[in-house]
Amino acid sequence: MARVIKQKPMNWVERLYVFECLRGLMTTLKHAARGLFRYEELPTISYPEGQPEIRNTYRAKHRLMLRPDGTPRCVACGMCAAACPAHCIFIEGTQSEDGRIEKRVMRFDIDHLTCVFCGLCVEACPVDALRMDTKKISFEHRTRDEFVAHLSDLIDWNPADYPDDAQSQVAPGGTKNKQALETWGLEVK
Amino acid sequence: MEFITNAVMEVVNSKTWIEWLITIAKFALCFVPVCYILLLIPMERRGAGFMQDRQGPNRSYIKIPYFGKIRALGYIQNMCDGTKLFFKELHTPTGANKIIYNLAPIIPFALTFLVPCVMPWFGTMTFTFGDSVVSIPGSIIDSDVGVLLLFGISSLSAYGAVLAGWASKSKFAYLGSLRTTAMTVSYEVCQGLCLMGLLLLVGSFNLTDIVNWQEHHVWGIVAQPVAFICFLIATIAETGRAPFDVAEGEPELVAGYHTEYGAMQFGFFYMGEYAHIGICSLLISTLFLGGYAVPFVTTETMQANMGITLTALCGVLAFLALAFLHMIYRYSRKLAASKQSNKAVILQEYKLYKLVAWVATLVFVAGAIASYMFVNPGSTIVNGAPVYGIGVALGTAVIHLLVLLAKSVIFCWVWIWVRWTLPRFRYDHVMHLGWKIILNIALLNLVVTAIIAKLVGGN
Repeated sequence: MARVIKQKPMNWVERLYVFECLRGLMTTLKHAARGLFRYEELPTISYPEGQPEIRNTYRAKHRLMLRPDGTPRCVACGMCAAACPAHCIFIEGTQSEDGRIEKRVMRFDIDHLTCVFCGLCVEACPVDALRMDTKKISFEHRTRDEFVAHLSDLIDWNPADYPDDAQSQVAPGGTKNKQALETWGLEVK
Repeated sequence: MEFITNAVMEVVNSKTWIEWLITIAKFALCFVPVCYILLLIPMERRGAGFMQDRQGPNRSYIKIPYFGKIRALGYIQNMCDGTKLFFKELHTPTGANKIIYNLAPIIPFALTFLVPCVMPWFGTMTFTFGDSVVSIPGSIIDSDVGVLLLFGISSLSAYGAVLAGWASKSKFAYLGSLRTTAMTVSYEVCQGLCLMGLLLLVGSFNLTDIVNWQEHHVWGIVAQPVAFICFLIATIAETGRAPFDVAEGEPELVAGYHTEYGAMQFGFFYMGEYAHIGICSLLISTLFLGGYAVPFVTTETMQANMGITLTALCGVLAFLALAFLHMIYRYSRKLAASKQSNKAVILQEYKLYKLVAWVATLVFVAGAIASYMFVNPGSTIVNGAPVYGIGVALGTAVIHLLVLLAKSVIFCWVWIWVRWTLPRFRYDHVMHLGWKIILNIALLNLVVTAIIAKLVGGN
């Protein structure tokens, strides 16, 4: 259904152009005066020295959530790799040592040069193992290989950086780790 | 031989040594438009930044041992860019006319030294020196056809564009130069016609007379408001900057007539353009904003109360220094509270600015008090008018010069302001505006001015 937009014809003041020019000039003057007299209120930040504030929901670099005993939560189901539109996730699973769990992940690679940061892998994960809330937005490496994040990189995060997230506190070093470890250690009937 | 010596001695003896000294010293004023380049480039770049809510170039710095980094509020960036341009290789495209190609960029730049010769920088200096009364005009060449001379010289800068475009052997440069020339020439007609109304009221082509008339009657902007607006538009168009930058179009003409130029040859065009803006703003403030005349105060009143005038001047400068300090303090406070990783370096630099600004404030306040208490020059009456010593004359000249510069800096800002606000016109729109609108308004303005002047009984 095409929507017809009726444009109002310009009135004679607008068609004179001079007054509209003056309006535009006043706008830029306002901004220029703000920059000159209130330099500190400019919305821009001096980037590398001043870092932007990033929301929790921002889709940044990935991380793998951990169980209380420190093993990755990933069960190597491959649903994230299947969901990935850029085919940048490579997973190899193997038999888990824990009898309660069928598989564990042996290789988990994410190629950040191919990744489009859509977040579909996070949505697809059935065990909430993959997240993109690290707030790391700058990737700088020397070689292409270094852009591939391996399992060791993905589980290398500190629970202290996620103080508001209860799931992150369950991991070793977190505030709820001890309690969670007790629960985790119980035999599953 | 003796004849030549006599002739030379006659010229030398025609003036006292102080007259010779000041006359030669006035040539330093030729360099004012070149200094405007140094002012305009940072003003343009940071002004553009502020208008677009950016910070503008502010990252380059000079490292000073035992102190830290000096960014000079972003000024170092322009020095870096200048150095880069200066040390780049000069390149001439194949098939270009080598002589003309290398000559062309110099023309607009060289003209920036010629044009200020006719500009009245200060009122005619009249002072007693010994027994005689010395009178020195405020312009380097005090010509009775000053306005014509000025327009004549400044319109020569079109040659730079023509020769550059022709000698480059590039169709983009050629088309760009055609457009530039056509626009420059057509808007010069408008400029001249806009000016005629004012010249009619003043009755003289001499720029000093024009300023004197404005000082004792009203400013040109009040007497000729329509002409002022038309003249401003025509002058912006004549300098070839946005919104009239038809000579430079990224998609169709690349960079216009200086497409093939690089390094300092491009730099000369660039600097010539900025110096041209400086000259045009000096011209507008001379013609329409009372030139060197201090607002609401005539030169006679100012000279009679030299002490109070100097106090006011020092007061204004002290106020500016305090305003700068206020800005620096507020920004440092905000910066100190932020998490920026380089804040220690910046705060160190601001400490220096604070020191300089405080010293300047103290000096200006002390100067204001001292001049209020101690400056009270005596005068001698010559031909019914009081004439003062050389100190008062020099003081008046400096105040006049500062007032002129302040007025023209406001117009420099207008150039930048307009450039970063208005979208550019299409080429036929520019020509339409020039020939069908501004020219007609200027003609009407001239007729109306002439009729009113005749009825009121002016000149």
